[in-house]
Amino acid sequence: MNYPPAKIKKMRELYSKTGEWLRGTGPESDIVISTRIRLARNLANFPFLHRATEGQRKEVEKLIREKLKEATLTKDLHYVKLSEVSSVDRLYLMERRLISREHAGGDGERGVAFAKSETISVMVNEEDHLRIQVIRSGFELRDAWKTIDEIDNTLEEKLHYAFSPRFGYLTACPTNVGTGMRASVMMHLPALGLAHHIEKVFNAVGKLGLVVRGIYGEGTQALGDLFQISNQFTLGKSEVEILEIMEGVIPRIAGYERMARKALITENKEQLEDRVWRSYGMLKVARMLSSEEAMHLLSQVRMGVNLGLINDISVETLNELFVLTLPAHLQKLEGKEMEANERNVIRASYVRKRLGAFQ
Amino acid sequence: MKCESCNKRHATVHLTEINGNEKRERHLCEECAQSLNNPLVKMPTPADILSSLINQVAPEIGEMSKTTCPACGLSYLEFRSKGRLGCPMDYTAFKKGLVPLLEKMHGASQHIGKVPSRAGKELVVKNEVLQLRKELDKAVEKEDYEKAAKIRDRIFELSASEDKKDEGTVQQNG
Repeated sequence: MNYPPAKIKKMRELYSKTGEWLRGTGPESDIVISTRIRLARNLANFPFLHRATEGQRKEVEKLIREKLKEATLTKDLHYVKLSEVSSVDRLYLMERRLISREHAGGDGERGVAFAKSETISVMVNEEDHLRIQVIRSGFELRDAWKTIDEIDNTLEEKLHYAFSPRFGYLTACPTNVGTGMRASVMMHLPALGLAHHIEKVFNAVGKLGLVVRGIYGEGTQALGDLFQISNQFTLGKSEVEILEIMEGVIPRIAGYERMARKALITENKEQLEDRVWRSYGMLKVARMLSSEEAMHLLSQVRMGVNLGLINDISVETLNELFVLTLPAHLQKLEGKEMEANERNVIRASYVRKRLGAFQ
Repeated sequence: MKCESCNKRHATVHLTEINGNEKRERHLCEECAQSLNNPLVKMPTPADILSSLINQVAPEIGEMSKTTCPACGLSYLEFRSKGRLGCPMDYTAFKKGLVPLLEKMHGASQHIGKVPSRAGKELVVKNEVLQLRKELDKAVEKEDYEKAAKIRDRIFELSASEDKKDEGTVQQNG
């Protein structure tokens, strides 16, 4: 890979550890993995990106990059120009949820700024000029809102946002206009999946103006029983009102999942134990693991740990493995590009090592 | 062949009617066929069908189809086919079409929520009042009258400060 040493160092610092949002701490953290809020913002004096010329795009990127530096949101804000890093690096940033799938795959002048803790990131030139994002471990909507609101206020002093009293913050897609806010909570719901109750949850949630997506956003699959629940509407309700709705719903879904787990234990204890321990065993002995299979097995083991069936591994390690075993992370870990088959071998070996299994 | 109805004009419309097992052929001129009010004759063109469909799905399109944003040059039809707006000005240029669209999408078309301080204090207050009115409704619905009274007082307070400012401007102008 051919980019300046400073950038390599930045990226390397990243893959020796994982973000704070994977710590497995915070309220409801047995079921809620993380809470994320993002705000879409655009500059008033430029066209939206898909109508912008290459020159305008560059101008927007430069302007925002400079203002981000001036604004000193945190002491340790890194900025990565996505046009200057490899596709594996971009995939890697996506796996860490610092950028969206669209941002990783897009082209033209664009970038991302993120804090070392990885709880704050600002995407520049995604679908909108700015996508500010805050991620926290566990169920922390209020906390995340407080942080992102402050960041937004700081940036607003430096940048002239497109805003109308009638329609609120103006965005390229009318589905984001108004607050420009999307709050999403990532939940681990294996028991509801096993008991075939998950569709019921989706239907109920839909009636309340919330939507369910896979872990990497719109149109992605729900891997490893991980689901993102987020607000659908951004106009006509204030930020706090939207958060209140979610605060009412999420703990109920978590409660429903706990009930389903309890039911599995009382009604089918042997079967559940067998499933959990088999999954743990597979992870410890497998010689090849696909990303999908690893996610599925990790999901079962995570539930086993939450239920006290397995005691010799932490939720934090399992949370980390969900991310560290993804394709780009493995390639970074090995320091080379690998085909799927080779990755499956490395993945299995890495998981065995982390679980302290027989090599 | 002459029209079997008027026996004068040339028959240009040929109909086959099937009634149970009976088959009957009719040969009419256009005028007589029209007066029969036969739906087959008035068959709409594909363009008619399309426009009536569009009218049902998105009634604003017909009216807005000629609108183009003066700032970025995006036409309303382009917006509707791609789903993305071209620049912030589009929200003003396409307002008439956007309002019903947003109503359908979000169930609302008026922003209630954060306002950038750059937009001015008045707007911040206006939005707070809008927000409080909603909360007031909620409190009354829940029969939490103590809370409702508090919210009402706050609304009065905010409105009063706005009025005062209005008076101030009047005096200045006068």
